[in-house]
Amino acid sequence: MSTTVPPPAAAPPEHDAAAVPALSLRGVSRVFGSHTALDTVDLEVATGEVHCVLGENGAGKSTLCNIVFGSLPPSGGDVLLDGAPFAPASPADALARGVAMVHQHFSLVPTLTVEENLLLGRGVRRLRPDRRGLARRLAEIDESLGLRVDLSARAASLSVGARQRVEIVKALLERPRLLLLDEPTGVLGPDEIDGLLATCRRVAESGTAVVLVTHKLAEVMRVGDRATVLRGGRVVGGGSLAREGAVGLTASDLVELMVGRDTATLDPVLAANVGVLGDRPGDDASGPGRGPAAGEGAAAAGRRAADEPVLAVRGLVVVGDDGARRVDGVDLDVRPGEIVGIAGVEGNGQGEIVAALSGAVHPAAGKVLLAGVDITRAAPRRRTGLGLGVVPEDRHHEAVVAGLSVSTNLLLGRLHRFRRFGLLDRGAMRAAAGDLAHRFDVRAASLDAPLSSLSGGNQQKAVLARELSLDPLRCVVAAQPTRGLDLGAVDAVVGHLRAAAAAGTGVLVVSSELSELLALCHRVHVAYRGALSEPVPTSAPDARDRVAHLMTGARA
Amino acid sequence: MTVPVPATAPAPAPDLPRPAPGREPARPARTARDRLLDARPVLVPLAAVVGALAVSTALAVLAGAAPVEAATALWEGMVGTPYAVGSSLNVAAVLLLVATGFLVAHRAGLVNVGGEGQICVGAVAATAVGTSLPDAVPAVVALPLLLVTAAVGGAAWASVAGWLAVRRGVSEVITTLLLNFVGAAVLVLSVHEEALLRQPVTSSETLPQSAPLVDATHLPLLGLPGSPATVAIVLALAGAAVAALVLRRTATGVRLSAVGLSRPASLRLGLPVDRLRFTSLTTAGAAAGLAGGVLVASAPHVLDDGLASGYGFSGLVVGLLARGSFLAATGIATALGFLVSGGINLQLAAGVPASITQILESLVILGVAGTTIWAVRRTPRAARRPRTRSDTEATS
Repeated sequence: MSTTVPPPAAAPPEHDAAAVPALSLRGVSRVFGSHTALDTVDLEVATGEVHCVLGENGAGKSTLCNIVFGSLPPSGGDVLLDGAPFAPASPADALARGVAMVHQHFSLVPTLTVEENLLLGRGVRRLRPDRRGLARRLAEIDESLGLRVDLSARAASLSVGARQRVEIVKALLERPRLLLLDEPTGVLGPDEIDGLLATCRRVAESGTAVVLVTHKLAEVMRVGDRATVLRGGRVVGGGSLAREGAVGLTASDLVELMVGRDTATLDPVLAANVGVLGDRPGDDASGPGRGPAAGEGAAAAGRRAADEPVLAVRGLVVVGDDGARRVDGVDLDVRPGEIVGIAGVEGNGQGEIVAALSGAVHPAAGKVLLAGVDITRAAPRRRTGLGLGVVPEDRHHEAVVAGLSVSTNLLLGRLHRFRRFGLLDRGAMRAAAGDLAHRFDVRAASLDAPLSSLSGGNQQKAVLARELSLDPLRCVVAAQPTRGLDLGAVDAVVGHLRAAAAAGTGVLVVSSELSELLALCHRVHVAYRGALSEPVPTSAPDARDRVAHLMTGARA
Repeated sequence: MTVPVPATAPAPAPDLPRPAPGREPARPARTARDRLLDARPVLVPLAAVVGALAVSTALAVLAGAAPVEAATALWEGMVGTPYAVGSSLNVAAVLLLVATGFLVAHRAGLVNVGGEGQICVGAVAATAVGTSLPDAVPAVVALPLLLVTAAVGGAAWASVAGWLAVRRGVSEVITTLLLNFVGAAVLVLSVHEEALLRQPVTSSETLPQSAPLVDATHLPLLGLPGSPATVAIVLALAGAAVAALVLRRTATGVRLSAVGLSRPASLRLGLPVDRLRFTSLTTAGAAAGLAGGVLVASAPHVLDDGLASGYGFSGLVVGLLARGSFLAATGIATALGFLVSGGINLQLAAGVPASITQILESLVILGVAGTTIWAVRRTPRAARRPRTRSDTEATS
């Protein structure tokens, strides 16, 4: 892996000065109270290029998008669109000026058909929806970009990838001059990501400037012409990319810019998180399967193969509200000290498996055994008492009570231990919470501040602190534990999970980040349509290919 | 143009990007306008109250009263005599009891709209005890027995809604509201049927009301000269203090808050969510039932069908306006109590319908509730000042 500092590519703009950039930001800042989200950012995007804006969570990428799309006014600096001053007062304003945006979260009305969704944005001032005009424009888009959507399908019935295609088509309807994509690949499977990236290229080639906002390097290296890296709200570097043999920034250069340290010092999970390792098929020596954890883990797994599983799932069936089998006969074993992963595109039953394990839903059939005790229908409290820690996927909804203080959130499950004369012993609570916060490095202005005042990473660390400090702790189920976290927090979360496993706890990790699972786990199952594949040991040289293959639904 | 900046990389990125040292943008100096905007949470409700008073005065004038005369009558009725103060305090006690219950349920995320029905059922239960006890029972036994029965009656009434909410997921707003009508009907039925609680009918003039309660169950007066104030206000203040202590300082209080703020997270953490919700709603019912007991145990010591007369809803209003604070609830209940008895004098002395005070009360509520958005909403886009951290959670 390269450890060289990127050549200070004082690259003059290849797009000569005569061509006015589609978008340019000059010294744009945005301040929220005492916090500077963007600090004098300069950015130029040329017509016809895919410009990647890279950065960790919290680097200011979304703020930048929101400023360009008119959701937020900048605190200072100028935005120019095709050389003319551009200060959109609202997204509608930005749309009218030819700026379109595809959001991280979809904005389709689920109960309407695709056609109705597409008509919503058009012809607002007309009495009758302009179906014919829409059909004409869609035919053009199909012809020029090969993007096709099923007009009669209901938005809710579409797959995530198809839904995103509709979003993109919707953004392209008005022939934007600039298309912003904010973290578009977060919810997509490998195939869908390929499709999306190809679309980005074609859209750019059709003469639209494309801004792709992401923290995944692999994607950047595949489609980007140029990149700008943000860190802490400031531009820390950028320039042309070394794509398809061109001279420019390489993936490891970008990582160093993003995280401010050398790639060689990165934990494999962190590297996987930004995608540097994820896209190097054939590079076996540094392949994710060779991470230090996996090497040590293979031996550990072998040693412990004879152990009784601490968590055993047998023939689990979960039926959804609509009567469909969301989980269909799942078997799973987690042994002490082992980290087992469940990979898969979201919506293949992983969420329901976690819900059944945590006690949020009751399975229709099957058994869940924790250290030999049947907890299939046990209440969450009993599961906790038996030593099952759960890190839920939806942090805000299920893991924390955001309106309560940090210390209350850390101790909410064990308040009975802090009673004195019937009242809560605030002093003892503060001491215990302070101890936990210290051990798990939860950074808060005050432990009495509401949990919602913490950053996402610190909130997640608080959840881990609570779940991993159970006594006894036998097994931890973590669903998407690193989602939406910056690298520092990912590092902490992964470290704590590894430490728990090293201490003999069984760990089950559910994630849609394949590279991350390969680097963290000993074995990986793949969820597909409610069923789990046989486990793939991550020490196998072809683990990545096998798991990726299984994710498409093929049998191993 | 973006040119790589030599990465003089500081430590790994902190969770929140910090402004670079020395580059903190100068904050605009605070102007008088800023201070005015910051005072909004106080100014806006105050303006709503003043507006409501103005409209009510206009209505009183329309009803034929001279404004000065009407205002004097209102004032006299509120604090003019020891009698007025005493009856105001009695009203305040009832409102505070209902509001205390409301706040307990509200902490768990439940809205108890059923104070009215719970008062009725509590009063019926209390009357059943108070009219049937033998005279020989001493007051130390009789009065607590009456009050406990009243609380149990109200709790039982609320438990119907609580059970439906917990087991069947029916909104307690609907069920408690509808149970008000049933509760009121139970009261009317009780005082109209001799087989139930109606006093023995001796002539066609006999009123549809219960027989008077035995002396031992009457609430003692506070003993202030010329004042009808009973120990009810002490009872209500003690209840509010205990409820505040439980909610603030005990594990149960924290658990109720957790359930109210996030039911899924509370379930995940193994809190007895159903039990907490059920208990908090029945506690609200018990408090309202107790208020019903206090009402029949005060002069004239009989149950009649006008007993509840809106106390349940006014108590709900007190709870809503107090926004979770028992201190605020005490203040608002007292203010409303004085307003109600002032309104009675307004009718007697100035000939203005007492309903004018209800209009005033409603206008205050509408005003305060309707203007809350101005007290907390962001300033318009153009004038928007940089916001603080909680807003930035969503960005980045």
